[in-house]
Amino acid sequence: MAGEVVTLQLGHYAGCVGAHWWGLQRCPPEGTELSHAALLRAGRDGCTPRLIALELKGGVGPLGRGGARPEPLAAWRGDVANYAEPGTGTALRDRGQRPGDASADADCGSGAPGEGAAPSAGSSTQLWSDYLSVQLHPRSIYVLQQYNHDGDSGRLEAFGQGEKLLQDASCMEELEDRLHFYAEECDYLQGFQVLCDLHDGFSGVGAKVTEVLQDEYSRKGILTWGLTPVTHTVADSQKNFYRVLNAALGIVHLSAHSSLFCPLSLSGSLGIKPQPPIEFPYVNYDASLNYHSSAVLAAALDTLTVPYRLCSSRGSMMHLAEMLSFSGRKVVAAWAAVPFPAVRGHSLPDALCAHQQDVPWKLLSSCKEQKVSRCFAQSVVLRGVCKESPTSCPGQQPPSPLHACETAEQVLQYYLHTAFPGAFSASHVLEQPCVTLPPYPRIFSPLLSRQGFLPDDLSSYSAAAVESIPVLTSLQSSPVLRTLLCDLCKDLQKLGTRRCASFFAAGVEEDDFHEALQELRTLSQCYQMGFEADNSEDESDSD
Amino acid sequence: MAVKALNPKAEVARAQAALAVNISAARGLQDVLRTNLGPKGTMKMLVSGAGDIKLTKDGNVLLQEMGLHPRIVAEGFEIAKEKALEVLEQVKVTKEMDRETLIDVAKTSLRTKVHTELADILTEAVVDSVLAVRKPGEPIDLHMVEIMEMKHKSETDTTLIRGLVLDHGARHPDMKKRVEDAYILTCNVSLEYEKTEVSAGFFYKSAEEREKLVKAERKFIEDRVSKIIDLKRRVCGDSDKGFIVINQKGIDPFSLDALAKEGIVALRRAKRRNMERLTLACGGTAMNSVEDLTPDCLGHAGLVYEYTLGEEKYTFIEKCDNPRSVTLLIRGPNKHTLTQIKDAVRDGLRAVKNAIEDGCVIPGAGALEVAVANALVKHKPNVKGRAQLGVQAFADALLIIPKVLAQNSGYDPQETLVKVQAEHAESGQLTGVDLNTGEPMVAAAAGIWDNYNVKKQLLHSCTVIASNILLVDEIMRAGMSSLKG
Repeated sequence: MAGEVVTLQLGHYAGCVGAHWWGLQRCPPEGTELSHAALLRAGRDGCTPRLIALELKGGVGPLGRGGARPEPLAAWRGDVANYAEPGTGTALRDRGQRPGDASADADCGSGAPGEGAAPSAGSSTQLWSDYLSVQLHPRSIYVLQQYNHDGDSGRLEAFGQGEKLLQDASCMEELEDRLHFYAEECDYLQGFQVLCDLHDGFSGVGAKVTEVLQDEYSRKGILTWGLTPVTHTVADSQKNFYRVLNAALGIVHLSAHSSLFCPLSLSGSLGIKPQPPIEFPYVNYDASLNYHSSAVLAAALDTLTVPYRLCSSRGSMMHLAEMLSFSGRKVVAAWAAVPFPAVRGHSLPDALCAHQQDVPWKLLSSCKEQKVSRCFAQSVVLRGVCKESPTSCPGQQPPSPLHACETAEQVLQYYLHTAFPGAFSASHVLEQPCVTLPPYPRIFSPLLSRQGFLPDDLSSYSAAAVESIPVLTSLQSSPVLRTLLCDLCKDLQKLGTRRCASFFAAGVEEDDFHEALQELRTLSQCYQMGFEADNSEDESDSD
Repeated sequence: MAVKALNPKAEVARAQAALAVNISAARGLQDVLRTNLGPKGTMKMLVSGAGDIKLTKDGNVLLQEMGLHPRIVAEGFEIAKEKALEVLEQVKVTKEMDRETLIDVAKTSLRTKVHTELADILTEAVVDSVLAVRKPGEPIDLHMVEIMEMKHKSETDTTLIRGLVLDHGARHPDMKKRVEDAYILTCNVSLEYEKTEVSAGFFYKSAEEREKLVKAERKFIEDRVSKIIDLKRRVCGDSDKGFIVINQKGIDPFSLDALAKEGIVALRRAKRRNMERLTLACGGTAMNSVEDLTPDCLGHAGLVYEYTLGEEKYTFIEKCDNPRSVTLLIRGPNKHTLTQIKDAVRDGLRAVKNAIEDGCVIPGAGALEVAVANALVKHKPNVKGRAQLGVQAFADALLIIPKVLAQNSGYDPQETLVKVQAEHAESGQLTGVDLNTGEPMVAAAAGIWDNYNVKKQLLHSCTVIASNILLVDEIMRAGMSSLKG
C-alpha cells in the first residue's frame, strides 16, 4: 500500500498540467494497479485530490472559485433547477463527464475534442479550470489576490516578487493551514509533489513553498517538477530575460529544498535562444496551446510518478529520490515516449526488439538531446503494453534473448541493461495504460488504434478516437543535465545583471544572484562523467 | 526640466495646479470617508481594480479644510497642534483601568465597526481575553490571543475560550471525545514509522532480512510510545485523570492504537504556531524527545473535548488554570461575516491594549474635538499675524468630527454643533454628541472613551500630512515602464 502524497500546483501552467493529470486518473480500468488513495482523499462526498493549487486573480474560472463543490442544499427540500452557464468551459467539461458523446464528432479530426468547443488559435486565454474534469476540495484552490493572471499590469513576473508573496504572514499562515489540513489526516504521509511554474514569479513562490515543506516536514519526500510552457515568441527581449532568470533561480532554489527536482517541458530550451518544441512521432499537437502541451506532460507525469503510487510496491517517494539523487545529483531529467510505439498484438519482447538501436523516448527537460547511452541511475516505467509473456513453443529457440526472459519486468530490465550498460536501472511494468478520454485533447495521429497501438498493416487503420495509450518514461540522473545547467550558466553570464535592473529591483539581491550562479555551476559539475569535460567545452564554442 | 529630459513621458503639475490637485484629493478623500464616522455611519464598499470587494468603515477623516498661503497656514497648524496637545493632556482622564472602563473603551471602538448587537457580544470577550494574557510589568502580546474562525450555518457569535482550539481531532475511533481534568503532554517527536534509506528495497538480499530490518525500525518507534505510556501510568495511576498527547510530528495508526489502548488521547501534527501557545495556556514544557519525560513537563486542562462540524473536527482545550494564551472563537455564517468580525475584534483588542498601556482615556463622541476647537479659538488672539488663519482652519477642521457624527445619525450638523458648543461653554464639561437624540451629552458619563495615544498620534500625523500636502507645489509622475507593463 502506497503512502499518501500531497500535491501542490504553483502557477497557471502547473494548473494546466495538473488539470489533465487529475483527468487521467478519473476512470481507472478494472483491477487497478495504482493506488487511488496515494493522491486522492476520500471525503464525505466523494474522492477529491489531496491538492493545493496556487493561482493568481483571474487564473481560475467559475468552477474553481472558492472551491469547486457547490454548497449542498441541505435545508431545501423542494425541487432544484440547474442552469448551466453556456460557454467553452462547461461544454468541454460536459464532454469530459460523458465520454460516449465525444465519439459523435469522431470525424472532425481537428485534434481538439469537438468542433464547437475546440479551442481556436485565439483562445490561448483558456483557463485550466475549463478542462478540469474532477471535483476539487474547497480548500484546494488558493487565489493570490495580489497579482493578476492576465492583463497589462500587476503581473507576477519576477522571482523576487514570488518570494515576497510568501513572506507575508497571513499568506503563509493560510498555506500552512491548508497543508496541515491534508497532512494531519494522512496515516502514512510519504511526501509532497510540487508542480511549479519556472518561467514566471511562481518560481520564487515555489522556492519559498519547498523551503517551508523541508523545514516543517523533514524526512518526507519532496519531489518538485519545474514546468515551463512552450515559449511562443521572443519578441519582447525583456520578458525573455526574465524567463531565463526565473528559471535559473528556480532550479537552484527548488533543487536545494527538494529531495528531487526535475525540469519538465516541451519547450526545446530554457535559455535565451529559443529552440523548436519537442516533437513526438505519433502526436500532432499545437505547441502554442497550453491545453495541448500540458496534456502531453500530464501523460508523462502520470507514468513517471508510478513507482511511489503502486498498490503492491513498498517503494516511496523518498526511495525514488534517494536512488536517483546519489552524490548531490538532485536534478534529474525526464524522458518519455508518448505514446510508446508498439504494434498491436505484439508482445513486450517483440515491442522492445523493434527499438534495439535506440530507445524511442524523447527528452522532456528542455535540453538539446544527445544520444548517450550513459546515465548514473534511472527509474523506468512502461505501461499499457501486454504483460503476458509470449507462448513460446517448447524446444524452439527464442528469437532474441528478450524472449527468453520469464517476466515482463525481466524483459524490460534486460533491455535497459543492454541499452545502458553499467547504469543502475529500476524498472516497473504496468498493464494499465494511460487513459486519454476527453477532455484530454485529440492530439494523436490517426494511425493509432483505439488503444493507442500502431496497426500491424496500414490497411486496417481506422480514425477512431484514441482512448488509451501505452507510455514509456524514465526519470534519469544523466549527463545531459550538465549541458542544461552549463548552458543556463552561460546565458546568465552573458545576460549579466545590468540589462535587467528591474528584475533585481523586484527583490533579488545581486549577491544572491551571483551565489545562485555559483550554485548552478557546482550543480552542473555533479554530472560530469570524467572524460568528457573538454568535449562539452568544445560543443559550447561551436554553438 | 531634468525629469523631462530623462523621461519624456513624465507628467508634471506645478504651483497652483499642484496645490489644487492635492486639495481636491484631500477633499475627495474626506468626502468619501466622512459618512463612515460613528456607530451610525454607513459602510464603504472598496472595489479594487480587478473587482475585489471589501467593506469597511475604518477611516481617518481628519483631512484638513484649507485655502490660504501654504507656508503661513502650515505655521498656524503647528501652533494649533501644540495647543491641541496641551488641551489633550488637560482633559485626559487618568484612572484605574478596571474591567468596566475597558468594556466601555472596547464598546466605543467596536460599535463603530459592526452593528450594535454584535458589538455588545464581542465587547466582553475582547476585554476578558486581553485581561487574561496580560502579565504585570510586561507589554501585552496580542499574538497570544488566537482568533479562530468557524463557519457555522446559523449562528453569529464570539466566545472566549480560556485555552486553545485546534482544528483537528484525534484520529483513533477508540479515543475519548471528552476528557476532564487532563494532563497535557506537548511534544515534537516523530511517532510514525518512516522508511529510511536503509529500508529501500534494493539494499536487501532477501525478504527475511528486509522484514528483520523493518521490525527493528518499528521497535524504535514502539519504544518511544511506551515511554509516553509509562509516564501516563506514573502520573495518573488508578485515578480517572485524563492524559492528552499533542504532537507536532506525525503519529501512525500503530502508535495511535497503542496509545488508545492505554486511554490516552493523541493529536498529531499540531501546527507549529500552536505549540508555543499550548504551553502558555496549559503550562508544562514542549518536549523534543521522550528520553527525559518527567511529570514536570506536563501541562493541565480542566476540559478537553472534540467538536464536529460537518466534515471538520475541532478539539477544545479549555478551563486551563492560569492561561497566558487564550482563543477567541468567532462563529459566522459565511466568510464575509467572519472577516468583518475578525477585523473588528482586532481593532477592539488593540483599543483595550492601548487603554491599559496608556493608563488613561479620552472622552469620545466628538467631545475632545469640541473642547480643543474651543480652546484654539480662545488662543487665536495670542497668535501673531496671519498664522491665526491657520489656527482657525485647524479648529474648523476638528469640528468636522462632531458635525459628521451628527449628520451620519440624521441630525442637522450645524444645529447639533451649536448646541454642543453652548453646552460645553456653559458647563465646562467635555460634551459630545448623543447620536440617539442629537442632543449634547457628557461623554464620560455615557462611557464613551477613545484611546489617548490614538488621538495624540492623529493630532501629530494629521498636522504633518496636511502641512506637507499644502507645501507641495509640483507633482511629477514618471514611473518605470519596464516592469509594470
